[in-house]
Amino acid sequence: MSTPLYELRGATRSFQMGNSTIKAVDDINVTIDKEELIALEGPSGSGKTTLLQLLGALDRPTSGQVFFEGRDLASLSDGELAELRLRSFGFIFQQFNLLSTLTALQNVEAGLAPLGVSAGELRERSLAMLAEVGLRDRAFHLPGQMSGGEQQRVAIARALLAEPHVVLADEPTGNLDTKSGADVIALLTDLAARHGTTIIVATHDAGLAARAPRRLTMKDGKLATDSKKTRAAAKKR
Amino acid sequence: MFYLSYLRSELLRRKGRTILTMLGLALGVALVIVITSLSHGLDQAQKTALNPLSSIGTDLTVTAQEEGYGGGAFANRMLETNLASLGKAGQHFSYDTFSAGTQPSFAQSQANSVSSISGVAKIATGLTLTVTHQEGKIPKITASFRTGGQQINVSGQTKRPSAADLAKMAACLAKQEKKSSSSTKTTATTGGQSSQSGSLSGQGQDQGGPGMFGGGAAMRKCMPASMKRFQKTITTRRQTLRKQVNTPQTNIKTSTYTIGGVDTSQTDMGLITKTQVSKGRFLSKKNAREALVANSYASSHKLKVGSTLSIKKTTFRVVGLVQAPLGGQSADVYVPLKQLQTLAGQKNQINVVLVRASKSSGVGAVEKKIKSALPSAQVASNKSEADQISGSLVTASNLAKSLGLALSIIVIAMAIMLAALLTLSSVAKRVREIGTLRALGWSRRLVIRQITAESLTQGVIGGVVGVGIGIVAAAVINSFNLSLSASSKVGNSTTTGGFRGAFGATQSAAQTTTSQVALHAPLAGSIILIGFALAILGGLLAGAAGAFRAAQLRPADALRQVE
Ligand SMILES: Nc1ncnc2c1ncn2[C@@H]1O[C@H](COP(=O)(O)OP(=O)(O)OP(=O)(O)O)[C@@H](O)[C@H]1O
Ligand SMILES: [Mg+2]
Repeated sequence: MSTPLYELRGATRSFQMGNSTIKAVDDINVTIDKEELIALEGPSGSGKTTLLQLLGALDRPTSGQVFFEGRDLASLSDGELAELRLRSFGFIFQQFNLLSTLTALQNVEAGLAPLGVSAGELRERSLAMLAEVGLRDRAFHLPGQMSGGEQQRVAIARALLAEPHVVLADEPTGNLDTKSGADVIALLTDLAARHGTTIIVATHDAGLAARAPRRLTMKDGKLATDSKKTRAAAKKR
Repeated sequence: MFYLSYLRSELLRRKGRTILTMLGLALGVALVIVITSLSHGLDQAQKTALNPLSSIGTDLTVTAQEEGYGGGAFANRMLETNLASLGKAGQHFSYDTFSAGTQPSFAQSQANSVSSISGVAKIATGLTLTVTHQEGKIPKITASFRTGGQQINVSGQTKRPSAADLAKMAACLAKQEKKSSSSTKTTATTGGQSSQSGSLSGQGQDQGGPGMFGGGAAMRKCMPASMKRFQKTITTRRQTLRKQVNTPQTNIKTSTYTIGGVDTSQTDMGLITKTQVSKGRFLSKKNAREALVANSYASSHKLKVGSTLSIKKTTFRVVGLVQAPLGGQSADVYVPLKQLQTLAGQKNQINVVLVRASKSSGVGAVEKKIKSALPSAQVASNKSEADQISGSLVTASNLAKSLGLALSIIVIAMAIMLAALLTLSSVAKRVREIGTLRALGWSRRLVIRQITAESLTQGVIGGVVGVGIGIVAAAVINSFNLSLSASSKVGNSTTTGGFRGAFGATQSAAQTTTSQVALHAPLAGSIILIGFALAILGGLLAGAAGAFRAAQLRPADALRQVE
């Protein structure tokens, strides 16, 4: 059996708030294999964002372990984690998080620049990626000059430029209207399929979740339901 | 290069913040440059002013002790001019009188005793006098008075006449009385306006009444020989005094200035030396009728190189302008020593010997030796001269000394703090951006490098602008021709001099020489470099500190930060 993409063993992330301890992610055990799309559901405050940050090595669990492609993230140095974020993870945020002083093209370039490719190659690949998200003609526009949907498409181009293994998207349609949200999701799933990338998306969008082959639902930091387990249990019966 | 284009975009698209940060740094740098330049300038001005002797190649000055008490003999001397002797009434006259001020003159040969003292490398002599110049029309109203011619009767006696004498006298008188029975003559006591009669009383002599010694001629004849000697009539000498009555004061101007006789045998030591020449040239060695004029005197009397100067009807050509040293030995006009000695009628007379010690460490010892060799001499050193100097320059430089360092440190600290605060606040606003970069795979090092490079660029540009502002500001200060005054008391401090001109016009020649020391803000390359370095350092430290702090955050926390 090949190593799974992720393996979480009792992963917990708690926050100390004065006297009380909030367990944003509470003892999660789950194995995630390469898949086209994985939906992360749950009510607000259930720990979806916190879990995505653990998966993307933006945060460390307070207890338990997170294995990515067989490597315990806790054992990696800051430099190795940065390398991992650069090459293996792509992030998409609800607020788009584009760098406001940079053009669409520069924003995309920022996602690959640390790799140290030549300026020409960087530009070429970035422009190609912008073309893929249908914004070739917007390359020299600033984020402030673009619609939310366009900005999120720039963010998608930026996240996918380094051809990551996983795209971690936190409510990518949360700030978009239905139409542009649907466009963004269509684009994201399409590209992910083409690049062989696994998308883990935290969402409140039931329609999007319904399309996902695997659905994980969180409640109070715990993993409440896992569609894979449910199916396996149904088969057993 | 992506990082450079990112940097450019970041600085250009946040113009307001960038300009503010750069201006803050620029202002700090400019202030540092101006303040350092100014204190540098003050230092220079102070050096010229506070080392008055060393500027003229001298370690010590030797002068004669003032005569009389407190110099009163000279200081309060009344100058009376007999105007009538200068020409006819209504004629224009110009008259110069030389006086020694507080420094009595002495023979030039006495300088040799100073030069022979061991440890003395070289000496120069000088004569500094005060010239009282009177000019105007001779007044018309001159009255003559004849005085004198008074007769004064003096009679006196030391011994009471003996009985025999008296008997002889009585017999004689009786005989005379018979000859001319009623002719009695009294010696008239007359005079011009008043009469004086004095009586010298002998010991035990009763006041003789006319009854006893009455009858002049007869009396004279019969007096004993010893008594005859004491009776005399004194007639005072007749003389004519001319006095001006109701003198018109407006017509006659009295001015005083100091003149220095310079030992022209040497150019590096003396009352004034070559180094003080600011325009023109130094006096030639030929004892020519040449003069050097102090800048301040030249500007107030509209003198230039090439102008002529009339001193006691002798014409001198101004060959140079000098920045006179402060202190006791400064003068308004300098001429060759021999010329001055001739003019003032003080042949071979000097009133100061300037001494250079062979070793600067030996000055104190030489000072002691001169004092013991010439107990009547006054010996002054650089330090004692400097102590006499006061004025705004001293105040300013004292201020600069005590405040300069503190001020510079405060300004530098403020500049760096301002830059740091601006950079820190700009970095704080970018925490989410930094979180995003980290999520994109930027390492901490890369994030810090990027933000530090931005601050560094701001620092360099701010530094360049600041250096520019600083240079312009220093130039503006220099163009204002600011000057500070430094006053030096001459001689001992209790002396207050006053020269009374003729006709009762009191002209006080203050015994304090005040000179204006120009304040410059000289720009040194090192100052500019330091200012520039400070701007860069300020920007760099602030940027690096802010970036480091932001990069230290977990990306998750940075991303959660709301803008
Ligand atoms: N840095 C933090 N400090 C303290 N508490 C935190 C922090 N981050 C998250 N939490 C808490 O952890 C819990 C989970 O938060 P999280 O953002 O993961 O929820 P979420 O499921 O993403 O919610 P939403 O759907 O609203 O985005 C919340 O109760 C939140 O208040
Ligand atoms: Mg969330």
